[in-house]
Amino acid sequence: MSFPTLIAATSPHLVRVPISTGVATALVALLMLAHIQFAAFQQGGYIILAVTDFLGWKRKDERQTRFSKHLVTALGATFAFGSALAIFSVLILFLGLWSQFFVELVRIMFWPLVVEGIAFVGEIACLYTVYSQWDRLANVRSLRVGLELLLSINASIQMLAIDVVASYMLTPRPSNSLALNLLNPTEIPLELHRFVGNIAFAGAMIALVGGLRILFSRSPEKRAYGDWIGHYGLIYAIGFTIAQPLIGWEYAKEIQLHAYASWYSMMLGGLSVAFLFQVFLLGAIFTVGIFYLWRRVKLGGSRSPTLAICTALSFASWLLISTPSSLAWSYEDVVGANANVPIWQGGLEIPWGQMIPFKLVALITFTGVAIVAVTAYLRHVNKGSMRWGDAGRAQGAALITVGIAVSLIMALMGYIREDSRAPFLITNKVLINQQQNFTPPSSTGPSMNGTSSVGIIMPWDAGP
Amino acid sequence: MSSPSQPARSALVAKLTRPVARPMAATYRWVDERMGISDLTHQLLYEAVPRRGAWAYSLGSATLIIIVLQIVTGIFLLWTYVPSTTEAWESLNYIEHHDEFGAIVRGMHLWGAYVLLIIIGLHMIRTFVSGSYKKPRELNWIVGVLLFLMVLGLGITGAMLPWDQAAYWTAVVVTHVVDYIPFFGNWVQEILRGGPQMGPETLTRFFAIHIWLLPALLVPLIGLHLILLRRHGEHGSWVNYEGVETESEEVRKERMSSAEYPYPAVPSDPGYAVPVDLDDFFPSQVFKDALVSFALVVIIFVMAVVVGAPLERAANPAALNYVPTPEWFFLPLDQLLVQFPQAWMIPVGVFVLPGIGTTLLILVPFLDRSPDREPWRRPEVMVPALFAVLFLVFEALLAVNRLFNL
Repeated sequence: MSFPTLIAATSPHLVRVPISTGVATALVALLMLAHIQFAAFQQGGYIILAVTDFLGWKRKDERQTRFSKHLVTALGATFAFGSALAIFSVLILFLGLWSQFFVELVRIMFWPLVVEGIAFVGEIACLYTVYSQWDRLANVRSLRVGLELLLSINASIQMLAIDVVASYMLTPRPSNSLALNLLNPTEIPLELHRFVGNIAFAGAMIALVGGLRILFSRSPEKRAYGDWIGHYGLIYAIGFTIAQPLIGWEYAKEIQLHAYASWYSMMLGGLSVAFLFQVFLLGAIFTVGIFYLWRRVKLGGSRSPTLAICTALSFASWLLISTPSSLAWSYEDVVGANANVPIWQGGLEIPWGQMIPFKLVALITFTGVAIVAVTAYLRHVNKGSMRWGDAGRAQGAALITVGIAVSLIMALMGYIREDSRAPFLITNKVLINQQQNFTPPSSTGPSMNGTSSVGIIMPWDAGP
Repeated sequence: MSSPSQPARSALVAKLTRPVARPMAATYRWVDERMGISDLTHQLLYEAVPRRGAWAYSLGSATLIIIVLQIVTGIFLLWTYVPSTTEAWESLNYIEHHDEFGAIVRGMHLWGAYVLLIIIGLHMIRTFVSGSYKKPRELNWIVGVLLFLMVLGLGITGAMLPWDQAAYWTAVVVTHVVDYIPFFGNWVQEILRGGPQMGPETLTRFFAIHIWLLPALLVPLIGLHLILLRRHGEHGSWVNYEGVETESEEVRKERMSSAEYPYPAVPSDPGYAVPVDLDDFFPSQVFKDALVSFALVVIIFVMAVVVGAPLERAANPAALNYVPTPEWFFLPLDQLLVQFPQAWMIPVGVFVLPGIGTTLLILVPFLDRSPDREPWRRPEVMVPALFAVLFLVFEALLAVNRLFNL
């Protein structure tokens, strides 16, 4: 007897939860989007923690050491809340409302999820050791930094495992090879996109806290500290966002090649508007961030024509990227350039739909300008002319804006990616609207009977 | 029964070995008087090196040892390998399956090349991060970059020699790409192919480049690299110069005047001519170098035994469904190609961007002219370099993803 049949036979009263698909979708979306924000902060935050504590140790910088302690406290608190969200989502929402999908997914992705579970235990062990033994470990600094590094590795393994699952849902391989499904076409692009994005996200959240401290701290000492952590977080936020356009390009290309319907939905269809809003937010992150760098250097008493030019170029690129496609170089141009059809029908190998051509120019400009701006800013900081605590309301507001924009873009990206698969939960395998009407496998449900669709034999498959 | 005391034991050993030791010592003295071996050994081994971070400096010696290993295993392969399109594959198949230890030697040559590229990469990163390319070591950096490019050239030409499917189609792609060189492309292509089409001469030409041309350029450059290293001394890293910015002129002068050979390095930025704390190259650094090199040779041997070197089916130009995949060290370049529209693919992806990257790499000492050595005080080179390295890693991973899912 197969596992779903077993559920249906032994627990018929668990089969249907009286909640509509719409409400179920909204619940999961809300919780998962919130969970993603916490998880991204954890994963990126651990890396920033390890780097900061290492730098504080090697450079004998008390401010970096102090910030490391604050960061590990924040990570400990958010980890508990984020994990509770994830566990609630998995145990209650997925099992109760999306059981067919969830059972299928766990059966296919059994080993990655086992690895994730083990890494989760490792994360708990390392995080709470570092958190609770912070002062004692100060005497063995190499051990503390080593544990932080181990923490980063654990969280990265978890992200890898969950990215395997998420990418599989978008681009499953029609094969019974676990290896092919693990390294499915969008796995590595998604992995890189999230790895870099999580560090940028954590940096942006740190910058947001710095901005709030600049605006609302009354003590000059606290404002100076907020000023410093704002600058420090923003370097990570802008620095790591630089890599995103290139990785995003590759990601979009793989989706175009292997899940054309989803790509069409994102780039040319109903979700393309959301996608355009996403690049508008990206423009806001770069422009406001670079503007902050320029003004912060000026407050330090230095003039930086390079940063002024970078701000102007970034602003121009923001305008360019925010221009609706229908104005000029329009979608007709896209059609004219044969870019609205896939490669195998003779289209250009440019996967960005309504994003081309001028939005592409803007993204390339952002990348180049941001590298120059971060470099120029760090050069000024190293000259030692910066005095922390000088930042005013404009700098505080800029940091908060970047933090909010990064948070929004993270949520929007999750929405676009998940919604692009509609009407499927797993592309071409599991439908959304089958989930609330669980039926025994004898009826026309997705491939739930017997072995899973990738042929992994589980203990219950070998039953009578 | 009590054991003999130390002096008594030494005397006993000296007495027992005297019949052998005396003639050996006399022979050595005789040779040494005529050849100056002691002086040469003294010159080679007795020099000062920076004390801190010494394990990281062993990468250079490890590179040299692996290059020697490549030459030795290459000579062994040449005893059997036949550079002809009809016999190359057969001869390698013989080495692989019938020659005693042949598969291991071939495996060591392949894995030696892989490890060599990784170690050179790490050596370059170490040199870059520590700012060791700065005055007066600019020329040595340039020589190092040229050596790296030559090793890449050896890698790609070596990959063509088995003349199996992978080798043949690699040769097709490489000789196709050079056709895009402005003005001279067709000419270069014909030189490499030995005619307008791929043929028997293509293999012999790449063979000649692999075992004669590139080594003939490589060996003198290695010599120059070592001479320049000895001339200016090992720079080490910033940790060996802590406090030099704030030291008084008198302390600095004292440090300079009491410096051991080969320091002080001249010309130099103030304070960076002599590391603060020195150690002996022999035996201290030599021990670390030997240990790291030995560990790497063991790794190469184990990989050769466990994984070996692949040999696909013999080259078949008619097999049009064969999908050639590049060697792993060319994966970033391969991925870069597919990011451009067809018309720009090779001109921009193969020549313009890699050309700009290589030029910038060579010019690093002239772009970063500040006296600062700490990596965090050199953001103008560290930030772009970090992105360049991340870019290469990402491109390689994306290429793996693409090729795996073809």
